[in-house]
Amino acid sequence: MGLIDKLISTARRRSPWLLHFDCGSCNGCDIETLACLTPVYDVERFGVVNVGNPKHADILLVTGTVNLRNREVLTVLFEQMPEPKVVVAIGACGLSGGIFREAPNVVGGVDKVIPVDVYVPGCPARPEAIIDGVVLALEKFREKSKGKGEGK
Amino acid sequence: MMQTAALALAVPCAAILLGGLLSGIDRRLTARLQSRQGPPLSQPFLDVIKLMAKERMVTNPWQAFSPVASLGAAAFALVFFALQGDLLVILFVHMVGGVFLVLGAMASPSPYSQTASQRELWQMLSCETLLFLIAGALYLTTGSFRLSELSALPEPLLYRLPLLFAAFFFALTVKMRKSPFDLAGCHHAHQELVRGVFTEYVGPYLGLLEIAHWLDIVLYLAICSLFWATSTPAMILLPLAAFLAVIMLDNVAARLTWRWMLGWGWGAAFVLSALNLSWLKG
Amino acid sequence: MSEAIPVVLLIVPFLAALACFVIRSSACRSFIVIATAAGLAVSSLLLQGPLAPDAGLRWAGIIDPVITGGDFLLLAIMFFLGCRYRNFLIIMLTASQLGLFAWLEFFVFAEDQGHALFAVDILSLVLVRVVCLVGGLICLHAIPYMQAHEQHQNLARSRQPQFFAVLLLFLGAMNGLVLTNNLAHFYFFFELTTLCSFLLIAHDRTEEAVGNALTALWMNGLGGLLLLLAIWGLYSQSAQLDMGGLVAATAGNPAALLPLALLVLAACTKSAQLPWQKWLLGAMVAPTPTSALLHSSTMVKAGVYLALRFAPAFAHTLLAQGLMLAGGFTFFAAAALAIGQRNAKKVLAYSTISNLGLIFACAGIGTPGAVAAGILLILFHAVSKGLLFLCVGTAEQQVHSRDIEVMRGLCAQMPFTGMIAVLGMLTIIVPPFGMLLGKWLVFEAGADHVVFYLMLVLGSSFTLLYWVRLAGTLLASGQTTGFKPEIKPFLTRFPLAALGCGAVMLGLAAPILYGRLLVPLTSLFPVGRAFSAGQAGMLTTAVGSFPLIVVFAVAALIGLLALSGVSKAMVGRKGTAYMSGANTRLPDHFVGPLNRPVRAVVENAYLVPLFGEERWTLWVNLAATGLLFLMLGGALWK
Ligand code: SF4
Repeated sequence: MGLIDKLISTARRRSPWLLHFDCGSCNGCDIETLACLTPVYDVERFGVVNVGNPKHADILLVTGTVNLRNREVLTVLFEQMPEPKVVVAIGACGLSGGIFREAPNVVGGVDKVIPVDVYVPGCPARPEAIIDGVVLALEKFREKSKGKGEGK
Repeated sequence: MMQTAALALAVPCAAILLGGLLSGIDRRLTARLQSRQGPPLSQPFLDVIKLMAKERMVTNPWQAFSPVASLGAAAFALVFFALQGDLLVILFVHMVGGVFLVLGAMASPSPYSQTASQRELWQMLSCETLLFLIAGALYLTTGSFRLSELSALPEPLLYRLPLLFAAFFFALTVKMRKSPFDLAGCHHAHQELVRGVFTEYVGPYLGLLEIAHWLDIVLYLAICSLFWATSTPAMILLPLAAFLAVIMLDNVAARLTWRWMLGWGWGAAFVLSALNLSWLKG
Repeated sequence: MSEAIPVVLLIVPFLAALACFVIRSSACRSFIVIATAAGLAVSSLLLQGPLAPDAGLRWAGIIDPVITGGDFLLLAIMFFLGCRYRNFLIIMLTASQLGLFAWLEFFVFAEDQGHALFAVDILSLVLVRVVCLVGGLICLHAIPYMQAHEQHQNLARSRQPQFFAVLLLFLGAMNGLVLTNNLAHFYFFFELTTLCSFLLIAHDRTEEAVGNALTALWMNGLGGLLLLLAIWGLYSQSAQLDMGGLVAATAGNPAALLPLALLVLAACTKSAQLPWQKWLLGAMVAPTPTSALLHSSTMVKAGVYLALRFAPAFAHTLLAQGLMLAGGFTFFAAAALAIGQRNAKKVLAYSTISNLGLIFACAGIGTPGAVAAGILLILFHAVSKGLLFLCVGTAEQQVHSRDIEVMRGLCAQMPFTGMIAVLGMLTIIVPPFGMLLGKWLVFEAGADHVVFYLMLVLGSSFTLLYWVRLAGTLLASGQTTGFKPEIKPFLTRFPLAALGCGAVMLGLAAPILYGRLLVPLTSLFPVGRAFSAGQAGMLTTAVGSFPLIVVFAVAALIGLLALSGVSKAMVGRKGTAYMSGANTRLPDHFVGPLNRPVRAVVENAYLVPLFGEERWTLWVNLAATGLLFLMLGGALWK
């Protein structure tokens, strides 16, 4: 059993599939996130794939502020992801609402709606920081899968 | 009897290893063509292991039924192939995998998976017809549908079936879910229909379907090797060349519409195969 | 003893029909129908061939005049119907039949001595059992169905007595048709099924129903006339009406080819082959038991029976080649037209036409293997198609529509009927079930003919497409819990369950049946490929083999594994469909404008411009007519 658990945990760390959700970003953070996938940074080296489908994703990357309208969507997307999963909030907006936090329709940071595991600051966050956030998220995975992961 | 049982176990295992490796080569080669480094060769295996350990979640019970049936059919078809059985039976069994893939995808009300299912049906139609024509050609040349008769042929089938081979290449592209014919579920992570027919399959179910897809590709490449069944090196080189050609095509082509696929792609392939068959008869 | 069974199979339905007609109490009628169905089922299973060469001769003195009288009566009724509805075509056709029949009966046919009245070989055994078992189950299903059907109609006086009388009469006529050994008697039963189908189609008395019934009457009347001409021609060749004798006597006789071609044409009208598909499509207006009966176990099976019965007589002639091409074309074209249909019953109808085309093609290929495949196809098709018609009818009574899109997600609303329907569809397209075995045998038998093989490949791919699409549409729903099998009367559930089991398990019997069919067939066909009988559990033809038992076992194993996967999935968290995150509480709705839920519907791609019947029927009919003329030409070619 020990071997299989080890294998699974390795596989989880080396095959993180991302779902990138733009809540209400100014697109600054989005551009930086997508830049990670270009040949310059090429995160597919580490098995990272941007799947664009919550049902296949392991890591939810959220950029931008949460507002009254898209909080439902954010919740649904989070719920549709199978366990084990982690959430990475990106940019000042994702952390706290950023420069939009005073706006009447803004709820605030991502953690107002769903539990967030990793916070990546910046306005916009740099690609290196985002990659670093994903790597941190992978460590969270290990902690999580020890706790409640479904396992085999 | 013991030998058959051993073969029945060994063939799917070997095919899974081979299929996963091919998928790894595919991803790495594609990355190199896009001047990226790409993931390690073991990446597809890691992906599948991770998927298998994820939570089970369905929107309709059929999504749990379909992947098992699909994988079972794919494995069974391969075992039959290894046992040199009747090519028609192999194709009929192989067809079951596609049937269940579509049934599971259609079972969810998601508009993405519904739309992709319709496209997948047309893709299935294109592939199946061409494979059955290859079976017909096999019969017309060897007088039997049994693969075991093939080794007795003096010269490679390719000499007599050049047009049919071109048609087969089309079918291989469709089956491998590669551009320009990756309408119903692209082999890359993203497309306009989210992930096409696979959109609604979660975690372990997606993992099973991925393995089934590897097995399907191995079966197709095995059928490809029939075109040059007289020498062992050629039996390896011909499918390999076809496989690499599909990846090249994938990287230079854009996705076409299903109308184009059905009208020009399949239409042309069918006419070519029919022409080739009528030569054989004459 | 065994000689009495054919008589029982013949007489009992007629008496029961009479009783149904006379007794108006619904409880009594139900009892009569159930008892008749049970009786027929038991006697058909008891029936064993071959009978003595003089079987039934004892009764010839009674039966002969009755049938001749019945013939005149039938033709007179049809003539009267033609007059009543002012249908010139029917008047002409029946009048010419009346004249021709009278002339033949009084001046041409000599007193026939010493030929058996009944003949039971494996072909008629299969057919009798199909008629009695499948037909009987359909009659049972009709009891609750017709009660619900009449509730919508507010009739002053129930019309069920007539309906059930005709239903049972139909079974009797079919039994007679497949058991008789006398071609003139065959003609009587042939006409009787025509009249019965008219009465059943016209049952609801709406304008559309009567119109379509009249179409059926004139098309089958034409078939009757062609059959009568064929009988005349065959009789003038060998001066006998004994069917077995005729087949032997006309084989290899070029002069007999023209009457044989007429015979085949008559069979084609009866089986609604292109270009005569219109009557069978029109028959859809009738209540479901009618269409189930017409499509699965009776009526259309009469045509293919006739063609298979006489196949040895014209094997390996140009006529046979023409029939093979015409059948192959029908198989392919009707399957293509089925793709363009969004009316579930019409999909079933086109699929029937297409499968019958395949059986005709088997008769045309004319090797023992092909004919055996044709007989197997008759059997499997009857079971699966009867099942599907009953399912669609049951569903139709609930959703009040035949539109496939309205039936979307039926499996969640009516889990029992829906799942059995999906199972029925799978038994048509997936190995190791019967229909696919039959198709495989045809592939193996027909691969020598390139054009036919192309049609076969296209047709079977189209068939796969429309069945998977229909099954998937029935499954489509986001419901994950709380499936409650709908409450239906026992008489609705039992036929569905029985036919469902039959459709799944019958495939297992294929190797035994195939082996048993081949032995008598090989003696009938002068030339034919050598074949090996094969081991147990293995279906073997000259050119390939189907390890049926292994496939069955593995399929069962995979099915069980998959089901255990389902039960595991059912305990976990349930998901919702991906709708870009804009889900609502309703499983198939997304959040639309003003926060209102909007149903996300993606309709199936029916590709009407490519496969629609409005556009293609004319061309397809022209092509089919051309092929039939080619076939006739082949018969005339010396
Ligand atoms: S953090 Fe800055 S760059 Fe990122 S979305 Fe907010 S405003 Fe734009």
